[in-house]
Amino acid sequence: MVVGCLLSPSVVLVGQQRSGVGIEQWVDDLSSIASADWNYQTAAHLLERGGFGATPEEIARIAAMTPEAAINWLVDYSNSPDTAPAYKASPIWDPGMDPFPKSRAEAVRRARDTGSSMGVSILPEGESRRLQPVVNKFFYGLRSNAVETQRLATWWGERMLVSQRPLEEKMTLFWHGHFATGNNKVRDARMVYQQNEMLRTHATGNFKDLLLGILRDPAMLVYLDNGENVKGHPNENFGRELLELFTLGVGNYTEQDIREGSRAFTGWTNDVLEFKFDPALHDFDSKTFLGQTGSFDGGDIIEIILQQPAAAEFVVSKLYRFFVREEISAGVRRELAETFRDADYELKPILKRIFMSRDFYSSKSYATQIKSPVHLVVSTYKKLGLVELPTIPDFNRLTANLGQTLFNPPNVAGWAGGRTWVTPATLLQRGNLFRRVLYPDNDGFWAPDRVVPGIYRQVEQRLDQGMNITAATQEGDAESSQLADRDEDYNTRYGGYMGYVMAFEKLHPIPRRVAELDMVTLLSDAGSTTVEAVVDHLIQRFLRVLPSAADRMVLVDFLRDELGTDEIVSSTPQTESALRALLYLLLSTPEYQLA
Amino acid sequence: MSRFKCSCSRRDFLRKGLYGIGVGATLPLLVDRTSAALAAQAFTGTSMETNPERILVVVELSGGNDGLNTVVPYGNDEYYRVRPNLGISESQVLKIEDGYGFHPSLVGFERLYKDGNMAVVHGCGYDNPSLSHFSSMGYWHTGVPNGGETLGWVGRLADGAYDHDAQGNRIVNIGTRQSLAVRSRHHSPLVFNDPTTFRREGADSEKDAIGAMRATGQRRNSTLEFLSATAQNAAASSDFVRQAAAAYQTPIDYGIGGLSRQLRQISALIHADMPTRLYYVAYQGNSFDTHVHQADPHARLLAYSADAIRGFTEDLKRIGRSQDVAVMVFTEFGRRVEENGSLGTDHGTATPMFIIGDHVKGGLYGEHPSLTMLDDGNLIKTTDFRRVYATMIKEWLKFDDTKEVLKGSFDPIGAFA
Repeated sequence: MVVGCLLSPSVVLVGQQRSGVGIEQWVDDLSSIASADWNYQTAAHLLERGGFGATPEEIARIAAMTPEAAINWLVDYSNSPDTAPAYKASPIWDPGMDPFPKSRAEAVRRARDTGSSMGVSILPEGESRRLQPVVNKFFYGLRSNAVETQRLATWWGERMLVSQRPLEEKMTLFWHGHFATGNNKVRDARMVYQQNEMLRTHATGNFKDLLLGILRDPAMLVYLDNGENVKGHPNENFGRELLELFTLGVGNYTEQDIREGSRAFTGWTNDVLEFKFDPALHDFDSKTFLGQTGSFDGGDIIEIILQQPAAAEFVVSKLYRFFVREEISAGVRRELAETFRDADYELKPILKRIFMSRDFYSSKSYATQIKSPVHLVVSTYKKLGLVELPTIPDFNRLTANLGQTLFNPPNVAGWAGGRTWVTPATLLQRGNLFRRVLYPDNDGFWAPDRVVPGIYRQVEQRLDQGMNITAATQEGDAESSQLADRDEDYNTRYGGYMGYVMAFEKLHPIPRRVAELDMVTLLSDAGSTTVEAVVDHLIQRFLRVLPSAADRMVLVDFLRDELGTDEIVSSTPQTESALRALLYLLLSTPEYQLA
Repeated sequence: MSRFKCSCSRRDFLRKGLYGIGVGATLPLLVDRTSAALAAQAFTGTSMETNPERILVVVELSGGNDGLNTVVPYGNDEYYRVRPNLGISESQVLKIEDGYGFHPSLVGFERLYKDGNMAVVHGCGYDNPSLSHFSSMGYWHTGVPNGGETLGWVGRLADGAYDHDAQGNRIVNIGTRQSLAVRSRHHSPLVFNDPTTFRREGADSEKDAIGAMRATGQRRNSTLEFLSATAQNAAASSDFVRQAAAAYQTPIDYGIGGLSRQLRQISALIHADMPTRLYYVAYQGNSFDTHVHQADPHARLLAYSADAIRGFTEDLKRIGRSQDVAVMVFTEFGRRVEENGSLGTDHGTATPMFIIGDHVKGGLYGEHPSLTMLDDGNLIKTTDFRRVYATMIKEWLKFDDTKEVLKGSFDPIGAFA
C-alpha cells in the first residue's frame, strides 16, 4: 500500500519482485526458465548465488540478457578476462627449512642430534641458551606461514570482490569447503596456495580430474596424514574421508571398503610441494573394493567410486545444497545425478542445468539461503560498489568473528553452513561488525602482519625497556614464569616472540585501507533525492526480500528524523553520517542475512 | 568518523507507537517483561519433558587431560615405572579407594567425591582412537567417532528432547565460538562469551529503530522466520543475560582460571530462571595439552578446574538449585602412558570422565585400563564414552531415545539414584 503510492525510479525495480521470481509452482521443476520470466530479480538471484552479489548496474546488465546468455556468461567464464590481481608470495621459506619439523620437540631433537635444524646451527658450547636460534626459527616457520595464510585469504577475498568471473571464485569456495583442508595442521602457506589454485583450475571442469588433483595434493596429503599410510600399516584417515566426505557419503560403503581403499593409496605422499608415489611403501597386493577385486592403485579406486550411482547423487546433492537450498527432493536428485553421469562428471552441464531450472528461482529457493560470513562481507563490499577490498577492519577478523576463516575450516567436513551460521550472538555481531566498516577505527587498528599479538606485546615492551630475556618473558604468577625459561637451552616464550619479529621482516605487508565510502554520491548518482527514494534505493540495492511496509516506514522515519528534512540536498558530513546510520540499520536486519 | 546525536525525539516517536507496533515501554520495563516471560517458561517444560527442572552442564577440558595424573593409580607399580619423574607419589595422592586417588590439586573433587556426589568413570574412549586433538575432539563433540556427523550430540539431544521452538534457549554455550557439540538442527544455541558485549551496538536511535522492525517481510519463508525468531531471541536474551550477569552477587569463591567466570555465569542464569536445559563450557585454548614440563601447569589447571566446579556446586546449593543440576566433565583424550623426554606427556587415548551432582551415586565406575596391555603405548579404553553420554541423557534428563541421539545403542552406567 505504502510502496504503491511512490513514484521514485527505484520503486519500479522493487515492484518487479512481485512477479517472475519465487513462484511456488516452480518448486522441483527442472524445466528451463523462460525469457518472459527473466527480470531484474531473477538476475539478482543468479548473481547472488552464482557469485557474491552485484551492484544494481551489474544486475541490470544481466537482466537485459536472455536467461541462456546470462547463464552461459556465468558458467563459461573462461571467455571473461581474469583481471583479478595475482598473488605474490612472501619470501618466507629458505632452503634449510624443508622438510619442516612437525613440532618444536622434533626441531630441538634434530638440533641436538645433528647440531642444526631448519638451516640454523646451535650456538657454540659455553654460550647461554644454545638452542635459542633453533627455537626462534621453528616459531618463525609457524608464525610466518600463519600470517602468510591470512595474506592469502585477504588476496582471495579481493579476488571474490573484483573478479569478472564470479562463479570461478564461488566454485573454488565450494570446493574448499568440500575438500576441507586447514592450514593450522598443514602449516605451509605454499601448499595452501597451491591447493587453492588447483581447485580454481578445475573448479568447473571434470569432477574426476578434481578428485585426482586433490588426492595428489600435498596440503591434503599432509592434512589427512597420508604420509603415514604405508604398506602393512595403512592409515585410514584418507581412505575414509574419500568415501565419506568427498564422493559417496555414509551408507554407501563398508568399513572393509575403507580399509581396502586405503591400501590402494599407500605410498601416495609428497616431497614438500610435489606429489610423490613411493613404490617401496605401496601395497601392490590384491584388494577387494566395492565388490571388485584387483591389485588396484589410487587411480583405479577413483574409477570404481565413480561407477557407483551414489557418487553422482552425493556430489549433486552437495552442489544443490550450496547453490539452491537445504533439502533436495528425491526426484530432483535422481534427475540431476543422471545429468551429471551422462556428462561423464563434467561440471558445467550440471551447473547450467541448476541455474536454468525454474526450481532455482522458485519460492523455496529464492532468498532462502543464509549468507556465509565470507559471502556476507564480500557481497556487502560489492553492493557498496567498492573496487578494492577494505583491510581496515581486517578481512579475516571480520569473517572469523562470524565463524568462518578461509583456509581454516572447523574440521574435515568443512563448514556446516545453513542455519548453523547464525546464533543469537552472531546475528547481533553480523550487524555490529559493519560498524567497523562504516566507522573505521584507524587509530585502534593493529595489523596482524605487523604487530605481535597478546602476551607477546608485553614481552616486546619489556625487552624495549632493557630487561633481560628471563625477566621479559615472566608472566604474572611465579610458577608459569619459571616455566617459560626452565629449559636452560632455550626460552620458549622468547622464541614465540622472536618468531613474530622474524616473520614480520620477511612478510610482504597487507595493504591497509578503509572502505572508500561515499553514500551521498552513491545515492545522488542513483537519482535518490528524497528520504523515501533513498530508503527504497538501499532496499533494492541490499535486500533480496522486501521488508514489510511497517518496517520500511521505520527506516523512512529514522532517516527523516536524522536529517530533519525530507529532501537530500546537501552533501554535508551530517548527511553522510545519517545515510551510513541508515545503512547500518539495513545491514542489521534479518532480511539482509538472506541470499 | 563517529556519530553521536541526540536521539530524544526518536525515542518519543517510538514510545508513541507511531508504526502500530507496540513499543510502548522504556527499556528496563521491557527487560522485566521479557524476563518474566522467559521465567514462566522455565518450569512449565516443553511437551516432551518429564523433568523440566533438570539441567545438564557439560564441561570440556580441551587439549587432552592427563588422566593418569588426574585419577592416580597409586596402587600400581607400573604407574611409577612409566612415570619416573611425573608420577605422583602415594603420600601426595588424595586417596579415594581401590588404590586410586586424586591429584593433590583436586581438593575440590575430593570433597565432592567424599560427599558421595561424584562418579568417576575409568578408561573412557572409543575404538580406533585418533590422536589428533582436532579429530578426536570432533568425535567427542559429535558423539560419532570416525563418522561424518555434522551436528553435535548436545544439539541432537535438544532436537530430540525439546520442542522445536526457537524461543527460550534450551542450549547455552558460553565461549567465544560455538562448539560443534551444541550444533543443532532445530535449536539455536545461545552462544556468547562476555555478557557485557552480547548486545546490539549503536546509538539509541539506531537500536530503537532496529528493535521496532519486525522482519515480517513481504515474502515470508522459513529461513526468514528462523532469522526473525533468532533476532527476537537475541534481543530478548541479550538483555536478559546482561541483566542476570550484572545483578548476580555471590559470596562463593570459584577460584581463578578458565572455568570460574563461565560457571559463575551459568549460576547467574540458573538463578535468573533461564529456561535452559543444556549448558556447555570449555576450558579453552587447548590448555591441557601438556607436552613439556607438565607438572606445574597441570597442577594449576586441575586446581583451577576443581575449584571452579566445586564452587559452582556450592553456589547451586546456596541458591537452592543443586538438586536440579548435574555436571559432566570430559576431555578429548588422555595422555600417553609413558612420560616423554621433556617432562611432559604426548597425546594418548582413554581417560576418566566425571559426573557430579546431588543425585549422583558417588563412586568409581568401570574398569581402569591396564597399564601393561597397551595399544602401541596407549591405554585401551574400557568404557565407551557414549555410555556416559547415555547416562546423562537417559538417567539424568529422563529422555529415553538415546539411540537416536547417539546414533547407536549405549547402555547407561547406572550412576544416578
